[in-house]
Amino acid sequence: MKSFITLKKVGVAAVSLGFASFSTASFADDTLRIVSWGGAYQKGQSVGIFQPAAEAMGITVKEDTYGGISDVKLMVKSGADKFDIFSSGAGGCASGGAEGILEKLDYSVIDVSNHLPGMYSDYCAGADIFSVVAAWNTETYGDNGPRSWADFFDVEKFPGTRAMRAKVDSQLEAALLADGVAKEDIYKVLDSEEGIDRALDKIRSIKPHIAVWWTSGAQHAQLMKDGEVDMTTGWNGRFDVAKLDGAKVAYDWKTGIMDWEGYGIPKGVKNKDLAMKYIAEMMKPEYMAEFAKYITYGPTNKLVYELNLMEEARARQMPSHPENAKHQMTLRTDWYAKWRTIAAEKYTEMMTE
Amino acid sequence: MVGIEQNFNQAELAQLARREHYTFFGLTLPYLVLVGAMIIVPIGWLFLLSFIGRDGSFSFENYERMINSKAYIRIFLTTFKISILTTLFCALLGYPLAYFMSQIPRKWANICMIGVLIPFWTSLLVRTYAWLVLLQKKGLVNTVAVDLGLLSEPIKFVHNTSGTLIGMVHIMLPFLILPLYANMRAIDPHCVKAASSLGATPVRAFWTVFFPLSMPGLIAGLLIVFVLCLGFYVTPAVLGGGKVIMAAMKISSNIELYFSWGAASALGVVLLVVTMLILFIASKLVSLDQFGQRS
Amino acid sequence: MTDSSLNISIKDVTKTYGDFYALKDVSLEVTSGEFLTLLGPSGSGKTTLLMVLAGFTNPDYGSVKFGGEEVVLKPPHLRGIGMVFQNYALFPHMSVAENVAYPQKLRGVSKEETRKSVEKALATVKLQGLGHRRVDELSGGQKQRVALARAIVFQPKILLMDEPLSALDKKLREEMQIELRQLHDSLNMTTVYVTHDQKEALTMSDRIAVINDGQLMQLGSPNEIYQRPKNAFIADFIGESSLLPAKVKGGFATIGSKKLKIAQELKKDGDFMLVVRPEKLFIANKKSRDANYFEGLVEDSIFQGESQLMVVKLNLENYGEVSLRLRLPNGSTNVGELPRVNEKIILGLKIADSYFLEAANGRD
Repeated sequence: MKSFITLKKVGVAAVSLGFASFSTASFADDTLRIVSWGGAYQKGQSVGIFQPAAEAMGITVKEDTYGGISDVKLMVKSGADKFDIFSSGAGGCASGGAEGILEKLDYSVIDVSNHLPGMYSDYCAGADIFSVVAAWNTETYGDNGPRSWADFFDVEKFPGTRAMRAKVDSQLEAALLADGVAKEDIYKVLDSEEGIDRALDKIRSIKPHIAVWWTSGAQHAQLMKDGEVDMTTGWNGRFDVAKLDGAKVAYDWKTGIMDWEGYGIPKGVKNKDLAMKYIAEMMKPEYMAEFAKYITYGPTNKLVYELNLMEEARARQMPSHPENAKHQMTLRTDWYAKWRTIAAEKYTEMMTE
Repeated sequence: MVGIEQNFNQAELAQLARREHYTFFGLTLPYLVLVGAMIIVPIGWLFLLSFIGRDGSFSFENYERMINSKAYIRIFLTTFKISILTTLFCALLGYPLAYFMSQIPRKWANICMIGVLIPFWTSLLVRTYAWLVLLQKKGLVNTVAVDLGLLSEPIKFVHNTSGTLIGMVHIMLPFLILPLYANMRAIDPHCVKAASSLGATPVRAFWTVFFPLSMPGLIAGLLIVFVLCLGFYVTPAVLGGGKVIMAAMKISSNIELYFSWGAASALGVVLLVVTMLILFIASKLVSLDQFGQRS
Repeated sequence: MTDSSLNISIKDVTKTYGDFYALKDVSLEVTSGEFLTLLGPSGSGKTTLLMVLAGFTNPDYGSVKFGGEEVVLKPPHLRGIGMVFQNYALFPHMSVAENVAYPQKLRGVSKEETRKSVEKALATVKLQGLGHRRVDELSGGQKQRVALARAIVFQPKILLMDEPLSALDKKLREEMQIELRQLHDSLNMTTVYVTHDQKEALTMSDRIAVINDGQLMQLGSPNEIYQRPKNAFIADFIGESSLLPAKVKGGFATIGSKKLKIAQELKKDGDFMLVVRPEKLFIANKKSRDANYFEGLVEDSIFQGESQLMVVKLNLENYGEVSLRLRLPNGSTNVGELPRVNEKIILGLKIADSYFLEAANGRD
């Protein structure tokens, strides 16, 4: 598997160059091209899902990395033919679907009857569940790190440097939870500019303590591993992988903001039917169980738990395990469809102040 | 009858001269086509796109957004601040080095030049991450300095403006040195000798003769560095730690955010216009022609 | 104006680059107000010596005195010399007037005085009214004049010139030689002039110092150097000459088996060379007592404008064939009457013009 920096990182120019290099290759009918996020995440997907599923179907699947839903948009709008399936967060798929750049998924082909409620949508077949958590450096705080968002935002009780995401996603939810808003009321409060400003003000209150605004999962994992910051927001799976790698890092599920990732198909791909069948194959519980061995992102197919395809100890580490899920709130993609641009501009404004 | 206007081969010679003109024009044609296809057309296209709103119709929304949000003006200010500072530091570091190289025998200068150019052969990304590894809180520099007792606590070199500047100056330095060194090499060493024979102290000879003669190279280097800095993406993204947001980064994130070229190209258009304005003012303040050397 | 110049005293100046001697124990006195030329082929060390005088090259050891004051440790800008460089070395970022004003500015001369002195200097070099010009708008000859004006504007007591005319075409060069000499006579600065052009040296100098292999070979007036070269190198380098091998015994000389009449006092016995200047030879119709004669065949006869050059082959007994060159001024003979190629010719050389050199002083 190639692991180069995501296209996003090398800018817009490189995106179009990427298209050029891709479009020169021609692919046979039994070949699919899938793109994902790279790093430990895609490694797990590749070994646990992409390649075994391809083998089961007797087709060839080629992998690459990409920079997110905007790459899909650029590809569809420029008429390039670069990949057939992409791995994406639910929010990304939702906005892509609203833009009309994605194929509607055919759930008569893809079986989602055993999916956890809400873990699939018109444009995205859910594959794994992850959480945004507050992770802390155990060298700095031992076991008594920030076990709630209120702790994360409390610089008196927990002095030290922090990192937050350079993008708005799931950061405002964390800020409002810290500000005392109940899990179930978060999106009610956020459903106005005042609510967004309230969340931003909460972040402003600790801004001098934010040493880094991270832009990728690999980066926040590295920040913890290197001890560059004492705590950060980030994806649970990345921290678990970093911990296996020797990083002194811990987190509490009480800070979890659950979100899910799935597969979508860009509009107008030639191999649409095969792509649909391939996604259906990937929804099978055994692949999800295998994937979860590599990174702690839990299955969307509840058969994994029902058929005991995962060891209990491993299952307990998954964000979607009932014991963990009960502490957490779930991210709502419809809020992002409505407020993302406004919230994102305000977030950038806050960052540049 | 052969008149005085039409000597026997005048027409043929005139045609020959015309053909020569066409040949010269023909030589520049590939370049003109390239400039047209690769620069003028895309910039024009960018300009048009910047007036297209999210719904695909003509609109000023991309520009309105920039006026309404303070983030944009701050990002432009950061972009110019970082670019100017980088250019300045490059000049301060690069000028003495280029001067030194221009004064030593060519053989040694070539070896120095390899030293200057080696970083060029390494990917920008690798160099940028190398600085991160060296300079972060528990990086090599801080660890060694703290262990040796030179520092009581680590210095924050990276994830801020200073880190961005260190990385960018390192990457940009060759772009300043190359034109400057070429210019300095071309300065007649006898000019400085003449100055000192006429009574100028070495310092005086440098400032009244060598420095003015090196100005074309310096200005060329400064312009190249400044303009390249304006479009920097990777280094501020990695070493700025989100504290340094430059125009190119916002351009990229706007594509992601708005799914439209317009939201990004409007930024590009403003950057281009402001840059041209700055260069125009600069060219008025420092007349390039003044340092022109035709001999 | 006589006190406006200084004498230069050079003693034992030596400069090495690794094993190579650029200058080897050179000692030389330049008298006040003199025009002295350092003459030598390229790589001879003449420019190195000039650079030592200017202070751009430090000798390994040796002394340089200007008017009795030791200057060898002084940096160039304190030596107060005027210098003209081979490639002019004008400042391209300054106008003609700014170039000439430069040394005055450095000396803190008032604006008004600077303007006057610049005007005067430009007038001296016949460039009045061109002060506003850009340097790159000037012709080669004009640039040379500006360089000269800049070197003399502050009335230095010593003027150094490094092949200042070498970039000019022949006609202009010859004009400038005369002008420079006249200028020297009017300004009366002690002038040290470097050139590889022997004709230029002969034309301009009070004295010539012939330099080769880092050593001073001969110092003397142009006439001395030309008429009485000290060795074969100088004889060959200065003017044209043919060298005939001669043997000397007891004050008599023989070439081949031919005895020569001589006027020179030759104290030593051994191998000598007869220095034959082409213009000193004449075609002999009648033999007289005051000349030596050589018989040969005309090998070549070339019309060269101001003169006719003939190459004559001599067959010397006990030695072999040698060539002599003979130059006849245009108009001195009727070309139609000259012997033609392959015809016999008898050449005469006055005894007074028969100058012998010790062969050991040759170039090897």
